[in-house]
Amino acid sequence: MNSILEVTDLNVSFPTRNGVIHASQQVSFRISKGKSCVLVGETGSGKSVIGQSVLRLLPQKSIISGSIRYKGLDILTLSEEEFSHLRGREISLVPQNPSASLDPLMKCGDQIAESVELRGVKKSSVTEEVLHILSNLRFLDPVRVSLSLPSRLSGGMRQRVATGIALASKPQFLVLDEPTKGLDYAARTSTIDILHHIKANRQDTQLLITHDLDLAHRIGDTMGVLYSGELVEFGPVNEIFSNPLHPYTKGLISALPRNGMKPIPGSCPGFLNLPKGCYFHKRCPHPCARGEDVHPEICDISEERQVRCHRFSA
Amino acid sequence: MSQILRVEGLYKTFGHGDIFRDVSFTLDSGETIGLFGMSGSGKSTLGRCIVGLERCTSGKIYFEGDDVSTVPKKMRPLLRTKMQMIFQHPEISFDPRRRLIDSVTEPLVYHTKQDQQDVFRSLFPLIEAVGLHHQLFEKYPGQLSGGELQRAMMVRIYSLSPKLIVADEPTSMLDMSVQAQVLNLMKDLQQKNNTACVFISHDPEVMQIMCDRIGIITDGTCTLVEKEEFDDWVSYMGS
Repeated sequence: MNSILEVTDLNVSFPTRNGVIHASQQVSFRISKGKSCVLVGETGSGKSVIGQSVLRLLPQKSIISGSIRYKGLDILTLSEEEFSHLRGREISLVPQNPSASLDPLMKCGDQIAESVELRGVKKSSVTEEVLHILSNLRFLDPVRVSLSLPSRLSGGMRQRVATGIALASKPQFLVLDEPTKGLDYAARTSTIDILHHIKANRQDTQLLITHDLDLAHRIGDTMGVLYSGELVEFGPVNEIFSNPLHPYTKGLISALPRNGMKPIPGSCPGFLNLPKGCYFHKRCPHPCARGEDVHPEICDISEERQVRCHRFSA
Repeated sequence: MSQILRVEGLYKTFGHGDIFRDVSFTLDSGETIGLFGMSGSGKSTLGRCIVGLERCTSGKIYFEGDDVSTVPKKMRPLLRTKMQMIFQHPEISFDPRRRLIDSVTEPLVYHTKQDQQDVFRSLFPLIEAVGLHHQLFEKYPGQLSGGELQRAMMVRIYSLSPKLIVADEPTSMLDMSVQAQVLNLMKDLQQKNNTACVFISHDPEVMQIMCDRIGIITDGTCTLVEKEEFDDWVSYMGS
């Protein structure tokens, strides 16, 4: 397979006053060229930490091990100067909360133009290119949006402008961090539509981080489910939705309102009190004796599917 | 079922125009009415007007048959205990510098003049019902997750045995599985206590599960529809 991104045994820890928090543990996955990989999980499951590791935006005190290979290059070993040639150019970020990510005092068009200029586009062509990007993001009046301050736009429109900034550098790899979080129904629907449109019309490889299962289903090709910092299931999106294997994945899907809104009992263990055995053991509808003391390894179910559960291990 | 709330011809106007106009509906005990609309449609403002956190420009609100604007000043604190509001952001609904036990017991201590520890012990069955451990209440809000805080908020609100709850997007900032926990809990407590509820949300799927009737707020007007009609409307909008 032609992998663009290959994450192997990624461990990220944060030392705190109360102990070390292992936010990402032995996470491994790969993304093929032109495909979308979605990482889903609840708040605090470690999904954003993985996205920040890929972009090397983690705080300095964080302890990272493992490797993240982008086109064969281990980006964790690159110098900051070397990586700055990739970040914002080849690798771009669509941030969550566009209200906080956009400059409130700068017109939207000018914010996109900054990224266009990074590509070395001639000054005389920048405005034309900005309007082209806004048209591709399905704005009905790109000129008006270009001349507007972010405060004049709705939440969904601001999310599209933030997406425009990320796309302006014509990236080959896009990290989308919770692009629908905090948006209302209409804005969320339009953002999902636009991301689907982008995926259909461009050849970018995408890493999508979200807890929005509808978005994951619509955009993703492969999907990883994270629980307490580790992958508990990985595989093609359609297979996971039609036949989830891990009880946590099943629980997430059953919690959707259209599936009866059945809650998963209990809550995630805190990162400082992780149990010795299976992290999901206390909440599991099929708890096994091994799960109490033995931590399950992730195992291959088929060529494309993996699950971390004693019931599937040999 | 007895009528808890009657809203008649409610208007709210800011400088730039009407936020909502001529809103009228009734709500019986144990019933849930939804207020559905996009961001900025005025649904939260309507909820705040109902519980008295904001003044409406004109119109009447009757609670248990009494016009709330004519309730004597001395009786208002008692009225407030019967009408409670759950807010969107559980993390800022509590004072960050006070332990949860202080914030959760405060209203009951104020109204019953009992000792805090006695009040807290009397809340143990409710704390158990929401799936929390009483030791958790020794912590500060910053040490708890959003779902835990929203459940602690349920304890604070239901400790007052309210007749009406206005829930303003109580789960929009929570994860899907935590949302399911909190909403199921709300439904259980509502059934047990026969509480009336005004449920505000922009999520049609959640509305379909939680509400008996739904008021769709568009361009300042509120159109009341039955649940089945709302399902058809959502399907139509989705297509």
